[in-house]
Amino acid sequence: MNTSVKIGSLILKNPVTVASGTAGYGEELSAFVNLAELGAVFTKGLSLEPREGNKGPRIIETSSGVLNSIGLQNVGLKAFLKEKLPFLLSKNAVVIPNIAGHSIDENIELCKILSETEGISALELNVSCPNVEQGGMAFGRDIRTFSKLLRKARKATKGILIVKLSPNVDDVAAFAKAAEDFGADAVSAINTVLGMKIDVKSRKPYFLRKSAGLSGPAIKPIAVRIVYEIFERVNIPIIGLGGISCFEDMLEFIMAGASAVSIGTMNLVNPSVASDCIAKLEEYMVKEKINDINELVGIAHR
Amino acid sequence: MATLIDKPLEVCKDHYLLKIDIGISLSHPGQFANIKIGKNDPLLRRPFSIFDHKENIIEIIFKVVGKGTEILKNICKAGYLDVIAPLGQGFSITENKNTLLIGGGVGNAPLYYLAKQLKAKNNIVNYLYAARSKDYIFFEDKYRLISNTFYLATDDGSGGRKGTACDISGELAGGSGYDIVYTCGPAIMMAGIVRIFQNPDTRIEVSLENYFGCGIGLCSGCAVETNAGIKRACVDGPAFDGRVIDWGSLLQ
Repeated sequence: MNTSVKIGSLILKNPVTVASGTAGYGEELSAFVNLAELGAVFTKGLSLEPREGNKGPRIIETSSGVLNSIGLQNVGLKAFLKEKLPFLLSKNAVVIPNIAGHSIDENIELCKILSETEGISALELNVSCPNVEQGGMAFGRDIRTFSKLLRKARKATKGILIVKLSPNVDDVAAFAKAAEDFGADAVSAINTVLGMKIDVKSRKPYFLRKSAGLSGPAIKPIAVRIVYEIFERVNIPIIGLGGISCFEDMLEFIMAGASAVSIGTMNLVNPSVASDCIAKLEEYMVKEKINDINELVGIAHR
Repeated sequence: MATLIDKPLEVCKDHYLLKIDIGISLSHPGQFANIKIGKNDPLLRRPFSIFDHKENIIEIIFKVVGKGTEILKNICKAGYLDVIAPLGQGFSITENKNTLLIGGGVGNAPLYYLAKQLKAKNNIVNYLYAARSKDYIFFEDKYRLISNTFYLATDDGSGGRKGTACDISGELAGGSGYDIVYTCGPAIMMAGIVRIFQNPDTRIEVSLENYFGCGIGLCSGCAVETNAGIKRACVDGPAFDGRVIDWGSLLQ
């Protein structure tokens, strides 16, 4: 039985990964999950210098979802390399840093350094964080800026380059196609969906940045639809994410066309959910007599 | 695997007691339990401080404030409950000291467990129990019994003295010689307490109750500004040195 999947030349032992921003740097999650058993760990969006994140309220529950405005709080490149990466490697995790620079130059610098760092399996370029003033989603909503960044990032990255796409555009698949054309090895879809909450007591937006990113089961149908559309337009692998809360949710993404999936918000709720999904995948494959998980990828299109 | 021992018991207006077997006999006063209610809606766990802990059973007192606690209060039978506990950093436990504990409303809950442990370590426990009114006071007798000196205050004077936690603290602070003050309650109350006890020889510990996303340090949603940078209330706290907190940012 084969549960392994390929992201470019990288082989993941199974398709279950944990999403950037919901797994920290693996330290806290390792109390609940054996990091070595995961397909990969996508670490918190990284910048060259440490970032404190946004002021004011940062998170609030919505119906079956969560709105967040964390603002890419992270330890910065230096501390990541010195403290966080060694921990992850000591746990035998497959490490994929998420790169979230403010500017094209900062992203390129991060791509260069990280792709030459031993122990890093691939990079995920974040062009879709809605919670920062500069960078983030600004790169992921305009196809020309997106293409410009991609061309440079591809050149700067020695190894595997994954691009995390924003759902906050008309045609996500067009961005996926552009990523493929510029030589990305895979795309992750989707990042959070733009949302907003009004605090009815103060009669003002709840978050200081007004809009925030919606995640969790509430966005799963949107994410599945987008993965399905991307699959029809590109040949590179898709890492599907958006509200996966259980094994059946994960299967939907795979059948829609995802080669791998990421658990995001549900790590916050049930930190062992990724482990549960891995266990259930094997049971399911035995029961359904599936020899290779790749047989299921995109099966909903056939 | 945790088990709810009995259905929720009403202990005063809007407040309920839960007894949960968590299979772990050790926790620290000020730590919390993170409880999953329903499947995807409500989605996030709800954190509750530990009111008492005997053998493998923790007790929690919660106040009904919204959808999650409304569902929790209506659980009608004992059985499996999805609980992660104990979590977070609790209060420090001193020895042979003169202590003052100040609880506001449901914020009194973790201070009972704290008072018990302080008592066991030969501290003098002075307790100020503040509540909105008489109807919102739970287990007054238990608090009275555990304390060397017990003060009761309600905003409207319907139980104990009339006044807020800060009003009474203002009187207690003068020449009292407390070595350490522990407080848990609304942020505005704790900010007031920190202002009132100005003597730097008196240590102040607070337990924050800001909005938690995950409760296990993954999301950084419960970030608190302190004089040592951003901290996560769920894993760096909920108990903190009250003087390191940037109260202005919490009260915005």
